[in-house]
Amino acid sequence: MRRCKVLFLLLAALLALAGCGTSYPADPEGTLDRVRGGTLRVGASPNRDWVRLPSGSGGAARVEGKEAELVQQFAERLGADIEWVTGTEQVLADELKHGGLDLVIGGLDDKTPWSTHAGLTRPYTESRDSRGSLHRHVMLVPLGENAFLLELDRFLLESGQA
Amino acid sequence: MIRTNSTQTVRFGHTELPPEQQEALRKARKYEWITIAFLAASTALVYAVLGNSQAMKAAWVEDLLSFLPPLSFLLAARVIRKRPSEDHPYGYHRAVGIAHVVAAVALTVMGAYLIVDSAIGLLSAEHPTIGGFNFFGQTIWLGWLMITAMVLTAGPPIWLGRVKMKLAEKLHDKVLYADADMNKADWMTAAAAAVGVAGIGLGWWWADYAAAILISGSILHDGIRNTRGAVSALMDKRAMTYDDDAPHPLARRLDAYLRGLPWTREARSRIRDEGHVFHVESFVVPAAGSMPSLEQLEQAREACIAMDWKVQDMVIVPVAELPSEFLPGPTTGGER
Repeated sequence: MRRCKVLFLLLAALLALAGCGTSYPADPEGTLDRVRGGTLRVGASPNRDWVRLPSGSGGAARVEGKEAELVQQFAERLGADIEWVTGTEQVLADELKHGGLDLVIGGLDDKTPWSTHAGLTRPYTESRDSRGSLHRHVMLVPLGENAFLLELDRFLLESGQA
Repeated sequence: MIRTNSTQTVRFGHTELPPEQQEALRKARKYEWITIAFLAASTALVYAVLGNSQAMKAAWVEDLLSFLPPLSFLLAARVIRKRPSEDHPYGYHRAVGIAHVVAAVALTVMGAYLIVDSAIGLLSAEHPTIGGFNFFGQTIWLGWLMITAMVLTAGPPIWLGRVKMKLAEKLHDKVLYADADMNKADWMTAAAAAVGVAGIGLGWWWADYAAAILISGSILHDGIRNTRGAVSALMDKRAMTYDDDAPHPLARRLDAYLRGLPWTREARSRIRDEGHVFHVESFVVPAAGSMPSLEQLEQAREACIAMDWKVQDMVIVPVAELPSEFLPGPTTGGER
């Protein structure tokens, strides 16, 4: 029964801490705090309508597409500037895993193999491909940055309802 | 033997159970079904909110494994009703022991697997990711749901464990005992998982793995303890009380009775626990070297069987001298 009390006290203490804390859940690496009013580093991998790189735009200065627009709105909400990085999914996922990016988009769905490298948002929209199979679309965030993820999930849900 | 006028007599092999044990068995089956129903609901609930938490995964696996003891109890309770047959002259009681071993090995293997899995997660510093979920148009952190699920599933097993513990004593059933014991400790799993998830919320990613290692450690501990108990029971360890705490007092009572008979000088027994019932071999040295009559032997045997419903098979062997090679140690009762 001793262990009982200790565990429940610990749980109560944690929940109390959560109550007073400014941000719960919190980011182990502080992504949300850093991005807010700072720079959002976004990896973009071109994929049909979701992410397009206009030809002749010269480098990675401009990214278009549905997801690129969503990310722009999200950055505005956080008062952040966007630093675009383009590349293949592999390169971007690897960069995200090692802390070089805050967000990766590329028309990915919830079956993405990169779930070992990154956290997935809630599927925020659905689409059907030419073979008729359903895709539930997600974006990738750094593993365990739960405050940042929750903020993005909230934004995506709200923008989906609008 | 007491005969009840109920519709159907409940038996363990050829032993008819006394009314108290019949009632306990009926209740035990009822509570094991309740346990299974509860587990079905709780595994479904926990699975729905599993997310990426290692501690939740460990708690879920423990829930899944908790199906094994009640299922093996219910299965064994069926099999051991069979009477001894030509091919199985000792009856089918060992079904209980086999069910116990299978459940215990499953616990051990899963506990070990989860410890390794959690340790790898901890060492590779893979931060558990828990996002939001849609709650009637509001996005709420999924961690809250996990903690709620854990708090909801923590309570009922404590109550189930207490009830089943009493029945296990009445029925002398070690599978039921092991099950009740695990149920009673189950709330610690739930609390540890809740603490782990609450820790993730504070940004302590390692709290999740620490909780998971704690939970898998408790699964492994249960597994090893049960495997040890079940295997030594199958190896004909001397009869112990239902919680393996002390040698069963029946041994002493049997010997005292036999020794007290006017025609005996010395008596000692060896007893094996077949699951619920005991098989007893008693060696008696007749007084003054004269053989007892068949009638005396038969009377003694029946008196011993009537002493406790657990005495099922009883063999009395008149001997010139107690065979020490069959009866190691000073006394049957294991008095220390």
